[in-house]
Amino acid sequence: MDNFGVFLQIIFWGLYAGCIYILLATGLNLIFGVMKIVNFAHGEFLMIGAYITATIFFISGINPYLIILLSMLALIGIGAVVERFCFRPILGTGKLNEIFLSIGLIYIFQNGAAIIWTDEWQSVKSPYDGISLPFGSLSIPLDYILIMFFTAAIICGLYLFLKKTTIGMQMRATSQNRKGAMLVGIDVERIDVISFGLGCALAAAAGTLWIVSGQIFNPYMGSIPAIKAFAIIILGGLGSIPGAIIGGLLMGLAENGAAFLLGGIWKDAISFVILIIVLVVRPTGLFGEKGD
Amino acid sequence: MKYSVLFIASILIVAVFIAGCTQQPATQQPSTTQGVIKVGVIASLTGPASNVGTNMWQSAQVAADKINSEGGVTLKDGSKAQIRLIVGDDESTQQGGQKAATKLITDDKVDILVGGYSSAVTSAYEQTIAEYRVPYIVTGASSPIITHRTDIDTSYIFHHCPTTDTYGQYTTMFIDQVVRSAVNKKLGAPADRPFRLAMLYQDTAFGKGVQSAVNNTIMKDKLNIQLVSQQSFRMGESDFRTPLTAIKAANPDAVYIAAFPNEGAPIITQARRDIGLNTIFLNVENNDNAQFYKDLGQYGEGAIIESRFSPYTAPAGTVADAQNAFKQSYFTKFGAYPDMMGASTYEGIFIASKATEKAGTTDKAAVRQALVSLQMPQVIEAMKDQTCSFSSDFRESTFDLWMEQLSYNATIGETRPAIVWPDNLKTTDFVLPSWYVAGSSS
Repeated sequence: MDNFGVFLQIIFWGLYAGCIYILLATGLNLIFGVMKIVNFAHGEFLMIGAYITATIFFISGINPYLIILLSMLALIGIGAVVERFCFRPILGTGKLNEIFLSIGLIYIFQNGAAIIWTDEWQSVKSPYDGISLPFGSLSIPLDYILIMFFTAAIICGLYLFLKKTTIGMQMRATSQNRKGAMLVGIDVERIDVISFGLGCALAAAAGTLWIVSGQIFNPYMGSIPAIKAFAIIILGGLGSIPGAIIGGLLMGLAENGAAFLLGGIWKDAISFVILIIVLVVRPTGLFGEKGD
Repeated sequence: MKYSVLFIASILIVAVFIAGCTQQPATQQPSTTQGVIKVGVIASLTGPASNVGTNMWQSAQVAADKINSEGGVTLKDGSKAQIRLIVGDDESTQQGGQKAATKLITDDKVDILVGGYSSAVTSAYEQTIAEYRVPYIVTGASSPIITHRTDIDTSYIFHHCPTTDTYGQYTTMFIDQVVRSAVNKKLGAPADRPFRLAMLYQDTAFGKGVQSAVNNTIMKDKLNIQLVSQQSFRMGESDFRTPLTAIKAANPDAVYIAAFPNEGAPIITQARRDIGLNTIFLNVENNDNAQFYKDLGQYGEGAIIESRFSPYTAPAGTVADAQNAFKQSYFTKFGAYPDMMGASTYEGIFIASKATEKAGTTDKAAVRQALVSLQMPQVIEAMKDQTCSFSSDFRESTFDLWMEQLSYNATIGETRPAIVWPDNLKTTDFVLPSWYVAGSSS
């Protein structure tokens, strides 16, 4: 492999990592944009989505890419329950309550998953395992192309949902001005439930695509991605969906570039170095607006 | 009034003195008065290393069951004491390890400790061990710093697993003596062609220890091995595609991986499936674990594991029967097979039991002294001179290590190991797989 080939390969791995980050951070930003809550347990929804997909796959043998939809639907339901019984009662009572509630949820979800599925490492074998497509001087496994395709499709679907449907417009209105939305008759509590459910569904999609790429998983898999998702939404701008997409891609590329050029131990650190630089230069993040 | 105050004060002083006199021995009273020896087992029951930690804890239970069913431990006065295990979950973190060690020592008041997996986690609570002076048989953490460090008193800590220095050296010797000639033969290259080795190691005391051992062995023995790429990753990483791309670009003849099983299996899978790095992967002994074989699937074909106990093979010689009996007992109790860390923890319980028997008491200083001079027949692993003992300098056991090569069994969908080195233990010969691609200097 020549140097240009290596460069292309690193860019490709950065884009792949960016896809997972985009889905996770977009969901988190959707929830933050509408409800303005801080949910550190968002990574646990990724984990639950991964386990739901894996369980259905192990039982039925259905193509895991087709199970994404089921996993996302299940997480809409789980997210709605969590919003209704956990976050709604404390909405507006202060950030500290939200932080401690979400930390509590992390333990509950992780230990619950360990009881249901055990905390053994598990893996899912994609039906396209071993199939690669030529791409210039590279040979790219089909799974990664599918992961990028599904990410793009889900984000496009979300864009259309927010732009073209009544509920989507109500969500945007609530995100822009919650009191104003209430005054014009929008049921903001209903919008909260839908936003939280959708955010969780995006995390489930991220979890599913994570495991079909062959990565092993256990109940603790969501903790680090959740921290990175927070860094991405701060980097991109709180509440900004384009910010989450650009931030996710930037994070994926920066991490893999740093791992290649500086060594693996810089992989996590570089994201936060970029975050600090962006915040110093532009405190609202890349796409954030004052007041977010 | 004045005399009354003096009288009451005197009574109080005497009472405190008596209480002190009666309480002092009570805290040092060995727990064997109840016929029980409390053995604390520190294992990672949760967190990234939970698979190995659970295996260690379950193996300890199999050992305790065996010792207790055979009558327990005979003490100085002729009485018998049963082994009672108490587990401490280190949560695969340094903070968790500190909590587990402190609880076992201060709340559960254990007589002796066994276990410890991650070197980073174990070294974080060694200060507590030193402070309370509790004998601790470390059966998993392989960094030499565990007993070599000088910033704290490690005299109560005994190391019953090979260190990274030892197995780094063994693996490098295997590469030089066996893999090199096979690669040269395949290439038709002269014997003096430098062997191109790459390393991918966890950025911890464990991973750096292996890296350092390989570098030192090459330098010290003047081996014709060229380290063409040395990449690191943080503990718990799951995406290795970028460092593997860098390694592939360096054209290695083989890749030595210093990782935990939950990292080692994805490394090999991603290397062969995603990067197309069709080479020999050499793994550290902690990967000789049933879950590792399951996660690897067909991608493990041709890989090497440095080992001393395997769930799926045993060396030619005397320890095979003992290993098979342990595997059978473990399988009967838990429906799965033990791994290497489980095996050394199993032995750790026997060593704790033997040392207590030799000391005749659970007094910690006496048990420590018994461990220092321990000479007991090997239990299930092949030990140097067939004897379990600790070196006089750093209190380390010495094992006979071997190399296994994995071959794919399509019926079960997993690879299985066979011992290929050294000659006195091997059951078959090392072979380069047909798909193997040697590195080149171009």
